[in-house]
Amino acid sequence: MRTRIILSIALLAALPLGDTRAYAHHSNVAFAVETVLTATGTVKEWQWSNPHTWLIVDVDDGKGGKVEWAMEGRAPGVLLRAGWSRSVLKPGDKVTVHYSPSKDGSKVGMIARVTMADGKILPNAPPGD
Amino acid sequence: MRTSRIVVPILTVIALSSSVQTQSPPDFAGVYRPINAFGPAGGGRGARAGGPPAPAPGQPPPPPTRTAPLSDGSQGRAPTAPQLTPEYLAKWQAMSKARVAGSSENDNTAKCLPPGMPAMMNMAYGMEVMQTKDKITFFSELNDALRRVYLDGRKPTPAILDDPTYAGYSTGHWEGDTLVVDTVSLRDNTYIEGFTPHSDQMTIRERIRFVSPGILEDRIAVTDPKALVKPWETVKTYRKMTGPPEDQLREFACAEGIEHAR
Repeated sequence: MRTRIILSIALLAALPLGDTRAYAHHSNVAFAVETVLTATGTVKEWQWSNPHTWLIVDVDDGKGGKVEWAMEGRAPGVLLRAGWSRSVLKPGDKVTVHYSPSKDGSKVGMIARVTMADGKILPNAPPGD
Repeated sequence: MRTSRIVVPILTVIALSSSVQTQSPPDFAGVYRPINAFGPAGGGRGARAGGPPAPAPGQPPPPPTRTAPLSDGSQGRAPTAPQLTPEYLAKWQAMSKARVAGSSENDNTAKCLPPGMPAMMNMAYGMEVMQTKDKITFFSELNDALRRVYLDGRKPTPAILDDPTYAGYSTGHWEGDTLVVDTVSLRDNTYIEGFTPHSDQMTIRERIRFVSPGILEDRIAVTDPKALVKPWETVKTYRKMTGPPEDQLREFACAEGIEHAR
């Protein structure tokens, strides 16, 4: 009985750790689009999904620690034409993200550009768009 | 003499009718990308990517200065925007206040709803046109939105008028090389452009034609006696794509990002 309770608690605790985390779908107005900040860190997860992609990054906090940020990207269709792909980013990749911060102060940003470790730039729009 | 007097007019009639029959309407079918998706005041070239200047060869581009055009109304209404009646201007101002505060509550596309007419014709992510003699279908990659324009002479029935939709009900006819389209029966929970509200009395007339080879123009006139002080006109232009991958639209499947669908 006691084992069953402990097991249940363990299962409940494990639930949010799956790969099916959902992030709210935002409109541009959720972000300060005319402010662009820079974060460097390591890719934790790259979600190639509609209507927006998500880049989950462990960002260096400047004090030797890491803070998880969820960076919202544009749709796969438009990013494909901008030079991105489903496999362009992988967990462990070092990235620099230019992003607009969320107006509500949460650790969510909207991607303006990602620079990869080899210097390759992934812009958020196709050339000339 | 007598024979030739009869034969010549007959031949003329045959020649005229065959020339009418062979003059078929232009073929709009194809995949297009917008030239001015957000209009001349909306940001234009480079608005998303942070804008020009282009970097020197071999040098990285300068850091982006913004992520997207400002779309919360905090800078007021553009002089080219639809002129609203006081009642609808008040609605716009209330929505602007919410947007400045960061609320997505009035954004249909953030809820995966269709953009609706006429905003749908921005076609920011690309447009596919399918055409037959009796029907033209416009498809928008953004939100997988679709509209049909009937060319076979049918008219909206009372049942259609009683059943407003996001795309509305469109009928069209050819005037030379120009497709003239009338759209009625539109829902009132969409936006004319940006987040400009309208009433259920909004109607739209479009004149669509090739202005040069591969460049399609849509002149859109919006009438709404309740929401607009005067009819509003705008012009969208699109460039026809000639080969892969640009002439292929990608699936949008917006519901993929909705929490309950995952």
